[in-house]
Amino acid sequence: MNLRRAQYELAGRLVGPLVLALESWQRRLARRPRSSRPGPFGPPLQATRKLKELMSLHYYQGRFAQGAVPVAWVTSGFPVEILRPLGFHAFYPENHAAICGVQRLVPPLSDAAEAEGYSRDLCSYARTDLGSLLAHRTPVGRIPRPDLLACCTNICQTVLYWYRALASHLKVPLVLVDAPYVYRSARPHLVSYVKEQLEELVQVAEGISGRRVEPEALVEVTARAKEGTRLWGECLAQGRHRPAPWTGIDGFFHMAPIVSLRGTESCNAYYRLLRDELVDRVRQGIGGLVEERHRLLWDNLPIWFWVRELSALLAGRGFNFVCTSYTNAWAEAGARIDPADPIGSAAQAYTHILLNQDLANRLAILGRLSRDYAVEGAVLHSDRSCKPYSVGQIDLKERLARELGIRVLLLEADHSDPRAFSAEQGESRLTAFMESFG
Amino acid sequence: MCLLPLRPRVIRLIRMPARPVDAGRRTCSARALSPAVTRKDYILRQREEHGRRALAVLPVHYPKELLTAFGVLAVELWGPPGPPRGEGAGRLQTYVCALARNALAFLASGGAAPVGGVLFPHTCDTIQGLATLVSDLGEFDKPVLTFLHPKGPPRASAHTFLLAELRSLAEELAEFTGRALEPERVREALRLHQDIDTHRALLLDARRRLPLSDRELYEVLRRGEWLWPEDHLAELRAVSASLHAEPVQKGVPLLVTGYVPEPADLLEALGRAGAYLVADDYAAVGRRLVRSEEWFDSEADPFRLLARRYFLAPPCPTRSADPGERMRHLTGLFERSGARGVLVHLLKFCEPELFDLPWLRSTFAARGVPLLFIEGELEASLSAREVTRIEAFVEMLS
Repeated sequence: MNLRRAQYELAGRLVGPLVLALESWQRRLARRPRSSRPGPFGPPLQATRKLKELMSLHYYQGRFAQGAVPVAWVTSGFPVEILRPLGFHAFYPENHAAICGVQRLVPPLSDAAEAEGYSRDLCSYARTDLGSLLAHRTPVGRIPRPDLLACCTNICQTVLYWYRALASHLKVPLVLVDAPYVYRSARPHLVSYVKEQLEELVQVAEGISGRRVEPEALVEVTARAKEGTRLWGECLAQGRHRPAPWTGIDGFFHMAPIVSLRGTESCNAYYRLLRDELVDRVRQGIGGLVEERHRLLWDNLPIWFWVRELSALLAGRGFNFVCTSYTNAWAEAGARIDPADPIGSAAQAYTHILLNQDLANRLAILGRLSRDYAVEGAVLHSDRSCKPYSVGQIDLKERLARELGIRVLLLEADHSDPRAFSAEQGESRLTAFMESFG
Repeated sequence: MCLLPLRPRVIRLIRMPARPVDAGRRTCSARALSPAVTRKDYILRQREEHGRRALAVLPVHYPKELLTAFGVLAVELWGPPGPPRGEGAGRLQTYVCALARNALAFLASGGAAPVGGVLFPHTCDTIQGLATLVSDLGEFDKPVLTFLHPKGPPRASAHTFLLAELRSLAEELAEFTGRALEPERVREALRLHQDIDTHRALLLDARRRLPLSDRELYEVLRRGEWLWPEDHLAELRAVSASLHAEPVQKGVPLLVTGYVPEPADLLEALGRAGAYLVADDYAAVGRRLVRSEEWFDSEADPFRLLARRYFLAPPCPTRSADPGERMRHLTGLFERSGARGVLVHLLKFCEPELFDLPWLRSTFAARGVPLLFIEGELEASLSAREVTRIEAFVEMLS
């Protein structure tokens, strides 16, 4: 084992946990006593602390990944299961961009990308990551330089252009898995095409890592990925209870492991912990809100820079997003994964990602979620940065209202660029929407 | 029900005074070939006289040869320009590209009445979404066909997928027309479209010797978006016959790259400012020309020929062309044409094109080539601000 590899392993197993424990202890010491005034939220989830540790450790270990293990930057919908048996450290630019969004770092990072010639009309995730690369600025300490860029077009075509720009700046190979869009049902040649590309990916990834994919290891990782999505689905399903034991906004944060650590035991262990806590809260009647008066559905990505304000605004009036189509997408994907056929089933599963299917499918999913979670209304985030998610929402709004008899609001915003959002207007629209419930 | 084009278009080749061409130029003999006819009338006449069903087609790339082989008239829908009208006007957010907004409004307001269905090539996320929006939620009662491009490098899996997708489209067209595919008709269509491309390439490459204004030339070229290929070829031949032996164009030659030459008065503004387009890389025009005939093999399966020809088209971001390859293509085009500046004319919110913008800027900046970037939303006419920018740009190059 070389020195870098030893550093990487130590960072993940010993130093990282110690540093995080120390930081946690310091935070507890510095924390001011909480106000005794009761707020609209229920008691915080205990698992959140574990979530922070898990994700911080992932990023911390990533600082030592370069030169120690092969590093891949991957899109959220990429079949990462194929890379894990080869020892790749997976870094998710979308997840990183979301962190930048929460920390309101997008405007300066986007400025750096715009100065390079990238239009402000491009996806704000792409601008954020390109800006971060160009400005050498990140909130996560140090990002490991990739040996491989791996992108799958099942979430959008934007990632193809974005990753190609990254490949050009970083001078590293890019593997593209082109997942053709599914109208009604995936015709056999679509799935064969994706499968063929996954087989090509194996060869490229083996070449970069200098290792062979052991079939048993691939089966194990695939089984873990399937189990992870199932566990995540179980966590989300607790929201069907009244009161829901958490909020949809909590769900946006707790989805990080299923995106970034899918196929690992740490991901599954975390979701077992979270599920058990949620089940326990349901048993005790503890809600995400102290008083849950109205249940809502959220469609599209969150408004990362405004989630706390949004959460407080709604919670103050007893409104809870008990389900979201975005977090649910990660639970649905696992059903098609089959450890007995890792590559073939990955081709099926990753072709059938929510955003890679037609609007009839989306309408059916929104309808099913609305019924299963007994929602009275829905907020469709019309996301300037995400065309595949937003095209069709005006018709979806009308159809949901007509077919399900629920109130639906279209909220114009952006998933991470606050310059494309008017908080006052958003607040006014949401307030009026909530008033309509009486 | 409205007519297919919102502005009834009169087909006259020579409509604008040609400038800045020599006064004593040869007259274009194509004028006599083109009686005034609207697009809708033409579609109806094709149906009545030749039994050809029409299919509206969204941009950009699709196997037109296959449609021709089935006797289907392709009528391309590039907007149309101007503000979206009708009941479908507000069904897409304002941050979605104007082409999709206008096309949806147009289809929803009965604009597609004269055609039998719509074909949506998988050009981008928005047009892909538009296909499902129209067919699944739009209460559109005509057949909706789709054509998926392989994205990424031209690897073996992409070839296999393209072949399967071409066969799948052929099945849909067989159902649409009620006719079986005849392989020989595909070969004939391939040769016909190669002939068309050769003539279109000739007009663009010999631009300096062509006694037409940009507006006139682009009217001829863009009529290929809806004329039956043989009619289009006849016009191209007639216009080609008007080529002079010596250059007749005066003014600043420019290379243009972009999506579609709309609004058309952009071309007039260029002419008035003292410039003309000497090299074309519009997605609607130059990027669809196959110049090579390497694809042809009289023995090969027609679908293989279609696939071969597909991969010989110039690099286009909507087909996820490698930017490095595209820049080499553009710099080659720039140098061969003798252009003195570059006009980048894009549609706002068009991600495939916008992601290449930094490459375009840096590639031409490195060569000291002036570049003007104009972004539009398929307006009915060019704004005074853009006219001023064009004038200043051309003045700088004069």
